[in-house]
Amino acid sequence: MTIQEIFEVIVRHTREILPGQEGRDFRLTDSLRELGANSVDRSEIIMMTLGSLSLNIPLVHMARAQNIGELASIIHAKA
Amino acid sequence: MRKPEPSDIVVSGIGVTSAVGQGQAAFGAALLEGRHGFATMRRPGRQRPSVEHPTCYLGAEMADLDIPSAIPRGLLRTASLSGQAALVTLHEAWNDARLDRVTPERVGLVVGGSNFQQREIVLAQEAYRGREQFLRPTYGMSFMDSDVCGLCSEAFGIRGFALTVGGASASGQVAVLEAIHAVASGRVDVCIAMGALMDLSYWECQGLRSLGAMGSDHHADSPALACRPFDRDRDGFIFGESCGAVVVESLASARERERTPYARLAGWAMRMDGNRNPNPSPDGEIAAISAAIARAGLAPADIDYVNPHGTGSGVGDVVELDSLRRCGLGRARINATKSVIGHGLSAAGAVELIAVLLQMRDGRLHPTRNLDHPIDDAFRWVGAEAVSHTIENALNLSIGFGGVNTAVCLQRFS
Repeated sequence: MTIQEIFEVIVRHTREILPGQEGRDFRLTDSLRELGANSVDRSEIIMMTLGSLSLNIPLVHMARAQNIGELASIIHAKA
Repeated sequence: MRKPEPSDIVVSGIGVTSAVGQGQAAFGAALLEGRHGFATMRRPGRQRPSVEHPTCYLGAEMADLDIPSAIPRGLLRTASLSGQAALVTLHEAWNDARLDRVTPERVGLVVGGSNFQQREIVLAQEAYRGREQFLRPTYGMSFMDSDVCGLCSEAFGIRGFALTVGGASASGQVAVLEAIHAVASGRVDVCIAMGALMDLSYWECQGLRSLGAMGSDHHADSPALACRPFDRDRDGFIFGESCGAVVVESLASARERERTPYARLAGWAMRMDGNRNPNPSPDGEIAAISAAIARAGLAPADIDYVNPHGTGSGVGDVVELDSLRRCGLGRARINATKSVIGHGLSAAGAVELIAVLLQMRDGRLHPTRNLDHPIDDAFRWVGAEAVSHTIENALNLSIGFGGVNTAVCLQRFS
C-alpha cells in the first residue's frame, strides 16, 4: 500500500462526507479543515479510511496531520 | 411579551409526515379517502433476519422523503430516519407559522418520544459486529434521541430551548402539553411540539407482540384488514410510521405575524394511573378527560367530536369507550385515526392532534377503516365513509404504557 493509494482512499471518503466536493481535483496539500470538514467530519473520514484499509490505528495518532498528504503519510507509517 | 392567558393559546402551524402522505395536504386527503399503507414491512431491520423463523410484522412505512433544498445536506448525511423525518416535518410547520419572523431566542422545541431510533442502532451494531473499532464516530451522537433536538435547532436556528420528553405512546401529546406550559409560563413566545418518528427494529416489534400489544400475523395475507380499532375482530395495534410538528403560541404572538390559528388549545390535562404496566385504567382516563374539559370551561355536552387513542388493543379500546361513556361523551361523533395511518407510538399524540385540526378546518370527519362490527354500537361512529361535520369543540386523547393519560380540548377559532 503506497501513500498515493492511501491518499486516494481518503479522497474517496472525503467526497462521501463533504457535500459539493464530488468534482474537486484533490491535492496532497489540501486541508480537510479548510475544505469545510468539522471535527466530527474529520473523524468520520479517518475512521472510514481505516475501515476500508482494515487498519486498527488509534485516532490520536492522526491529530498532528495538517493536510491530507500528511494524514496519508502517518497512516502509511503506522500500517 | 407578556404571559398569555391560558385561553389565549393557539396552534399556528403544523407539519406532518406519514405513510399515507408527506405534508398536510397529502395527509389530509388520504385521511378523508381512508387511503392506507399497510403491508408486510420491508425497511431493513424490521423483520428478524432468520431463514428458519421468518417474521411477518405488518405496518405502514413511509415512501422516500421529499427533502426540501433548504435543509443542509451535511446534516442529512448522518441523520437517522427519525432525524430526517423531523427535519422535513419541522420545515413544513416552520414555514406554515412563518417562524423566520420570530426572535430565535424566543423559540423552543419539545420532541416527544424516547428510544425512537432503535432500528438504526440495531443496523449499525450488526454492520460493525466483530470490527467495532471502526464504528463511525457519529454513532456516538446519533444514538441519543436528543440528537434530533440538535439537528432541528441547527437547521432552523432555534436558540430558546430544545429537549425531549417521554410518555410512551402518549409522548407526542405530552410534548404538546409541555409546549403549552412553556408558552403559558412565558419561557418562550413560540414552542414547537413534535411527535418523533418511532423507528422500530424487529426487536421492539417482537417485544410489543410478545406483550400482546402489537397485532398478530393473523392478517399476514391481507394486511389491509389488520388494523381495526374498536372492531370486534381486532387483535392489537398495527404500527405506522409518522412524525408531526405543532406550533404553539399565544394568539397575540400569532397575530403579530398575521397568522390565523388553526384552533384554540382550550384545555389540557395529564394524569397518571400509578401503574408501571401496559394495562389501562378507566379512573386515569376519566380523570384526564374531566380535567381537560373543565380547564376549557366546557361541559361534556359541548364536545362534538372525539379523536380517541383507539389502537385496536383488546382491553384498551373497551376501557376507552367505557371512560368516554362515563364522562358523558357517548353522543359526540367519533372515528379512529389509527385505522388509516397506523399507530405512530411516540408520534401518535401529535399526528392525531393534527388530524383533528385538519378535520376541524375542512368540516369533514375521516372514515374509520375496518369498523365492521363496532364493539359498542351506541357510539356515533364515522364508518367507512367520510362525513360532513362542523367541529366546535374536539377532544383528543392519548394513552401510554406506564399509566400515562393525556387529553386536549381543541376549540374552533373564530
